[in-house]
Formats: sequence, structure tokens, C-alpha cells
Amino acid sequence: MTYELLNDLTSAEVERVLELGARMIVPSGAPLFRLGDAADCLFLTTRGRIRLTLPMQIRGQEENILAEEISAGQTVGWSALIPPYLFTLTATAPVEAEVIAIPRQALHEYFAANPAAGCRITQNLAVVIGHRLHLFQTMWLREMQRAVEVHSA
Amino acid sequence: MEMLLMGLCVSAFGLAVVALAFRAATRAESSDAAVRPDLPLAKAAVPARLFPAQAAMPPALTPQQVPIELLLLQIENHVRLEQAAAESFIEFPTQALLRSKTTSPFVN
Repeated sequence: MTYELLNDLTSAEVERVLELGARMIVPSGAPLFRLGDAADCLFLTTRGRIRLTLPMQIRGQEENILAEEISAGQTVGWSALIPPYLFTLTATAPVEAEVIAIPRQALHEYFAANPAAGCRITQNLAVVIGHRLHLFQTMWLREMQRAVEVHSA
Repeated sequence: MEMLLMGLCVSAFGLAVVALAFRAATRAESSDAAVRPDLPLAKAAVPARLFPAQAAMPPALTPQQVPIELLLLQIENHVRLEQAAAESFIEFPTQALLRSKTTSPFVN
């Protein structure tokens, strides 16, 4: 199993980082975290899928709308490493999933003791965040383009 | 002189043929018009074969009539299609990919 957050780390470093966390089973349909929760842990998905959703008002009731789906090897909950350390999406498992929950405090201590590995993990995190940014930027622009076309028609 | 007479004969014959053809054509149209009321309507007699499903399709639902479960599915499908389009754009950024049309029924 390879994790996007741990790319370019030696196998010993990967093992050490994984030991910082604890494996968790997320039952089918259960939430991993909710929007607004304190983000104390970063999650590495080892099995199954995690749905990231945003609340929308539809016909007067709140519905969770899919924003992104995370599969095995991908990172969930990077808000744990970015102030103000609050989740901005809700994460649920559509089918039973397994994740490794790594506490922020443990990661910070590991980074302080292993700055080279910490730098590579931070670079990998930047790739994950950058991809999300590009994805949503593009989706936003496409929606705006459609809105402009509707208004100018 | 003989050539001139022959030319006149050929011209007269050609004119006659054209006139007959024209008359036959216009007569066919007028007789069609006269007969048309007695003919059965082709549309009514022949069942639609090419697009039977389309012919049987009920009138389109207004957005308020769409069940919420279907609406949520449409939104999710729309998000997935838009993500796929965005991923394509990120991989090969071009204006054409950015403005590519979606097939999502949610916005069409």
C-alpha cells in the first residue's frame, strides 16, 4: 500500500510515520468527521472510500452534496495541519472503510525531529492541497461561464 | 432552307414535349390535391417505429416535480462529470477544455 502523503520517503520513514497513527474502521454510512469539528487528526485511507460532502439547502431541507471522493492511498482531513484546524467538509464512508488517524501533535513532533522527512511530507501535502485548489477553481470557473451564458442569452 | 425547316421542326417538337411534361406535372399535383381528402392519414395509420420510446415519452417534468432522490442523483452525477472535466483541464490546460459542454441533465 502506498500513500500519496508519504511519497519519496524511505520505507523506514514510512513505517515510522504510520506508527504515529492508529487504524480506525469507519462503518458503512458512518461519519469520519463533520463540518466544523476540530481537526486534530489527519487520515490516510487504507481501504474503501470516503465521501467528502458540503451541506446545501434543497427544497427547504439540508442535503449533503458530494464534493469529492477519496479512495485508498489518498489523504483526508488535511485541515488538521492547516490553521484554524477545523474541518470544512463532512466525511462519511459509503461502504466500510479503514483509515490511519495520525494526530497533528505527533506529526509536528516527528517533523521537528526529522526535518528532511517533514519537508517531503509537507511537499506532498502541498500537492494534495494544490490539486484540490485547481480542481475547485476549474469547477467554479465552468459554473461561472454557464451563469454568464444564461444571463447573456 | 432545309436546315432551317429542320431546326424549326426540332424546336417545335422540343417545345411540345416540354409543354406536355409541364402539363402532366401540374395535372398530377392538382389531382393529388383532389384525392388527398380520401386518403388515410399516414401518420395515424403507421405506428412510429424509429423512435417509439420518444413517441411514448410523457411530457417533461418541471424542476419542482422531480423527486428529491432523483434530483440528488442528478446533482451528484453533475459533480462527478464536472470533476472529470476539471481533471482533464488540469492535465492539459486549454481554453477549449475549460469551456467544454457538459452532458449533465442537471444544467441542460
